[in-house]
Amino acid sequence: MFSAAAPRRGSGLGFAMPAILLLAAFFVIPVVFLLTRSVTEPQLGLQNYAALVGSSTYAKVFFNTFFVAGVVTLVTVLIAFPVAWALAIMPARWSAVVFAIILLSMWTNLLARTYAWMVLLQQTGLINRMLKAIGLIDQPLQLTNNLVGVTIGMVYIMLPFMILPLLGVIKKIDPAILQAAALCGATKWQALTRVLVPLATPGIASGALMVFVMSLGYFVTPSLLGGTANMMLAELIAQQVQSLVNWGMGGAAAFLLLLVTLGLYAVQLRFLDRKEAA
Amino acid sequence: MKKTMIALALASALTSAAHAQDMVFTSWGGTTQDAQAAHWAAPFTEKGGPAVVQDGPTDYGKIKAMVEAGAVTWDVVDAEYDWALQAGKAGLLEPLDFTVIDKTKLDPRFVSDFAVGSFYYSFVLGWNPANFPDAPPATLADLFDTAKFPGKRTFYKWSAPGVIEAALLADGVAPDALYPLDLDRAFKKLDTIKADIIWWEGGAQSQQLLASGEAPIGFFWNGRLSALQADGMEVGISWDQNITAADALVVPKGTKNKEAAMKFIAEATSAEGQAAFAAATGYAPVNLGSADLMDPAIRATLPDAQTAVQVNADMAYWADHRDEIGNRWYAWQAQ
Repeated sequence: MFSAAAPRRGSGLGFAMPAILLLAAFFVIPVVFLLTRSVTEPQLGLQNYAALVGSSTYAKVFFNTFFVAGVVTLVTVLIAFPVAWALAIMPARWSAVVFAIILLSMWTNLLARTYAWMVLLQQTGLINRMLKAIGLIDQPLQLTNNLVGVTIGMVYIMLPFMILPLLGVIKKIDPAILQAAALCGATKWQALTRVLVPLATPGIASGALMVFVMSLGYFVTPSLLGGTANMMLAELIAQQVQSLVNWGMGGAAAFLLLLVTLGLYAVQLRFLDRKEAA
Repeated sequence: MKKTMIALALASALTSAAHAQDMVFTSWGGTTQDAQAAHWAAPFTEKGGPAVVQDGPTDYGKIKAMVEAGAVTWDVVDAEYDWALQAGKAGLLEPLDFTVIDKTKLDPRFVSDFAVGSFYYSFVLGWNPANFPDAPPATLADLFDTAKFPGKRTFYKWSAPGVIEAALLADGVAPDALYPLDLDRAFKKLDTIKADIIWWEGGAQSQQLLASGEAPIGFFWNGRLSALQADGMEVGISWDQNITAADALVVPKGTKNKEAAMKFIAEATSAEGQAAFAAATGYAPVNLGSADLMDPAIRATLPDAQTAVQVNADMAYWADHRDEIGNRWYAWQAQ
C-alpha cells in the first residue's frame, strides 16, 4: 500500500464510473423520487412522517423491527462464534468441507430456504411430529407465525455474514496467546471471556453491525415465518405501496429505514477507522 | 465469453418479449392464471389476435407507478373489483370500449365504465373433515367459535371484501344491514379469535394450510377448495352465507395496445371463454350466456348455484372506503 508509487487518491474513479452511474440511475434517483413523494403525497408537507411517528401502531412496527433485528443479531453471534472458532482450529481439509457447506447454504435460493423452514417448523411439520413421536410433547409447539419462527429463519440466513468476518479475525489470533493464558493459570472459561472474545471483538462488531443492518430491511422471511403481531418495517412498506397504493406513506417509512441504516453504517465506518488506526 | 453469451441470450429474450405486436396480460399466477392463459389468451391468439405474454403478480403500486411515469407495460390486468372501481375514479384506467365488449350479455353486478368482471367467486367456510369428524361446522358463527371448533383458523391476510363481512354476519348482523360496515363491531368480533388466526396471503398457501391440518378450518376462495377436492382430498364446504366478490379486467391508462386490450377483454368475457374458465377453476362466470354451455354437474359446484344463501359484498361501498378500511385493518393486524 505504501510502497514506492502510492496510488493517488481518486485515481480509481474512472474504473468505478460504470458502477457509480448504474447506482445513480437505478438507485439514487429513484430514492430521491420516493423521498419527494413522501413529502408531497397526498399534499406538500410532513404529514406522512407525522403519522408514522405519531401512531402507536407504527411505533410498534418500528419497535418490532429493531427488536427482531436485535434478537437475530444476538443469537447469530452466539451461534457463529463457536463455528468460526472451530473452523479456525480445524485441520484444513475439514474446515474446507464445513466452509463449503456454509457457502452452499448461502447460494441456495432465499425463498426455497424459507419455505423449507415453514415445512419443518409448522404445527404439523417434521420437528413437531418428531417431538410428539418420541413423547417429549403432547401439543405441537407454536414455531411459526411468531418471533420464534422469524428468529430461526433469519439467524440461519445471517450466519454466513457473521461467520466470515469472525473467521478472518480469529484466524489472526496467535494460538500461543491462549497457551500463555493457560500457563498463567486461566481456566478455559477465563481464556475465552478475557482473552479470545476481546481479541475477536472487531470481528464480532463488524459482523453484528452487518447482520443487524441487513435484518432491519428484511422482508421475505418475516413475512412467511412471522405473524402479523411481529410485523416489521419492510412489510409495512409493502402493504402501503402494494395494497393501499399509498406511495407517500410507503416512501416515508422507506426513507426512515434508509436513514437508520445510513446512521448505523456511519457507526461502522467510524469503528473500522479506529480499528485500523490502532 | 460465457458472460457475452448470457448477455446475448438475455437481450434476445428481452426483445422477443417486447415484440411490438405482443400484448401483456397480468394476473395473480397459480392455477387461476394458467386457466386464463389456456381459455382466454390461447383462443384469442388463435383467432388472429396478437400473442399474449403472461406477467404477474398484479401489483397496484406498480400500476400506479407505470401510469404516472407514462410507461405502461401491462395491457390488461386482472385486479380486485373494488380496487378497479376506485382506480377508475382516480384516473388510472382507460374507459372500456363497449362497442367492442358486449356488455348486454354480462352480469350487471360486474359491469362499470372502467372495469368488467373477470370472474366472480365466493368466500366460503371450509374445513378438514379429519379434524371435526362428529359435528362438522356449518355456519359463519361456527368459524368464530373456538370452543366448539378448536384449532387455528385461516383468513385472507389483505384488506379486501370478505372477512369483515363474515365477522359481522357471525356476530348476528342481518345480511341486508351489513352496509355501512360497523368496523368497531367487526374488529371486536375478530379480536375474539385473533390469537388463533393464521393469515393466508395467496390461494396456494390457503390450500396448504388446510391440507396439512395446520389450520383445520378457515375462510377460503371457493375455487381453491374445489381444486383440493379435484385432487382427491376430502374437504368440507359450507355455502351458508357465502360472500361474493369479483375480480375485474382493467386496462391501465396509457397503454399502447388499447385496441388489442379491448378485444382481449371481449374474448375473455365471451360466453365460451367464461364457461371454459369456470369449468377449469370453480369460479363463476360473469357472462349470462355461459350457463347453457356448461355441464350441469359442474355448474352445481359453482357460486352461481348458491345464490339463495349468498351475500353480495358491496363493491361500490368498498371502492369508496378502501383506504380507510385498509388502514384500520393493517393497524389492527399489527397490534
